[in-house]
Amino acid sequence: MNQAVISCLHANLPAVEAVLKDIELQGITNITCLGDLVGYGPQPNEVIELIKEKKIATCQGCWDEDVVDGLDACDCSYPSQIAERRGHFAHQWTTEKLTKENKDFLANLPYSIRKDECLFVHGSPNSQHEYLLPDMDAFAALERVENAKAEILFCGHTHQPYIRELANGSISVKVKNSGSKDIQKKEMNLPMRRIVNAGSVGEPRHGGTKATYVVYNDITNDVKIREVEYDIELTCKAIINAGLPPIFAWRLKNGFEFAERAEDASHFCER
Amino acid sequence: MSQTWIISGPPGCGKTSWILNTFKNHSGNCGYVRLGGYSEINLEQAINSTIDFAFLKDQIPNLLDLSSSKLPLKVEKENILIIIEFPQFFIPKFQGISGIDLRVIKELEIYNLQPNKYLHFGRDLELPIKDTLDFKAIESCSIDLKKNIWDPASLNTFWFELVNGAYGDVYRAKALMNLPDGRYILFNWILTQKGSQYQTLNQVAPLNGRPERHSEIVIQGKNLNFQLIKSTINNCLLSDAVLEHHQATLRNSQLQTSRN
Repeated sequence: MNQAVISCLHANLPAVEAVLKDIELQGITNITCLGDLVGYGPQPNEVIELIKEKKIATCQGCWDEDVVDGLDACDCSYPSQIAERRGHFAHQWTTEKLTKENKDFLANLPYSIRKDECLFVHGSPNSQHEYLLPDMDAFAALERVENAKAEILFCGHTHQPYIRELANGSISVKVKNSGSKDIQKKEMNLPMRRIVNAGSVGEPRHGGTKATYVVYNDITNDVKIREVEYDIELTCKAIINAGLPPIFAWRLKNGFEFAERAEDASHFCER
Repeated sequence: MSQTWIISGPPGCGKTSWILNTFKNHSGNCGYVRLGGYSEINLEQAINSTIDFAFLKDQIPNLLDLSSSKLPLKVEKENILIIIEFPQFFIPKFQGISGIDLRVIKELEIYNLQPNKYLHFGRDLELPIKDTLDFKAIESCSIDLKKNIWDPASLNTFWFELVNGAYGDVYRAKALMNLPDGRYILFNWILTQKGSQYQTLNQVAPLNGRPERHSEIVIQGKNLNFQLIKSTINNCLLSDAVLEHHQATLRNSQLQTSRN
């Protein structure tokens, strides 16, 4: 049976509507959302209400958590001073616009959702703020999936969709106990694990302008990345009219989005 | 024998690079004057930026700046090469020195300079041919950045946005920027040429406070949102506290290296 996984909607209503329409046209009714319903985009309440109306199972993203907690996104997650200042502005704007009901909704979202052998998270099983980038060290990536006791880990946060297979993983450990001359060798062979990143509906960063999400077939285990066109001009106008930085519209329109992240791919916020 | 040349051409044609090479190949003293250009119909006057002089002076420390004073008496006048750089968007009507704009001749009287050679990019084959824009109308903006130091990652973002049209249609952008590690970098971009050119200059500022040297950005184009450019730049510049934090880290790192 096919199921859809969407992530990083970022208050971009035209993009969310277009993706949900595309999912509906495929006859898919099982949808999971990996969070970041708000942030940067101009329609945070509208997007949350649409997710609520459609009863889409959703876990909490980093923006959802920060807005609820009244925290600015952690400084260490920004790559530059200008990104940090723009991010803080967007954070403040979103906090002011969100209704109390919608803040409560975000506050009560779970950190993760488990469905059989699949685990759904925003960033990583460790944190909503951790980035699992496609080129992350294979051992570290495998450790994330294995520790989560999942066969497939669905994540978002990077805004770059990808499917990564971690095949034939083996971990060798040499242990020398105190007082003993013997060295014990242990070797664990791990079955294939997968990390599937759903990309981003509202703020794609895959070099194009189309919204991205994934379709997973739990019988065949096939995963497909889908790209959907939407009315970007509509979103850009809404960004300008909302008084958000015009640069957000420019980046979206030109496919120049870049990840607001620290240099270190495995960056873990200790806030 | 002393020589005084005028070199003119549109923005981005390669005047400064050519002048640098010419000076490097000259065995005697070198002097430099940069004129600002004149307003034409529908054509804003080019900005008399001192970026070019700061760059040339970095590369040729003995270069004489004749824009601020007449030729010093003590300088050996024999075999001096003086080059006057002058932005001019259109090709002169006449060949040779008779093609020099009369306003330029008059301005040069202040410096007591009489040119004996005039070359214009796009007209004289002695100069390299570069694909430059046919300027019909242009807006110019110059922002003085003296004593300002950029957050390097923010500078990268800002420059990308600038040359890719986030703040209007940029034809030309040139800047001399300070980085917290003391580096002094020339940024150069023109629409018709591929990519930006970056050159780290020889001067390195001490890791203590803000350097006094020249720093500026000059942007030329159409429909430029100067207010947005200025506010974005302000968000990219380091505060005293952040700068001190950067510099203290670098000082400690240098200390560690010298101990090892």
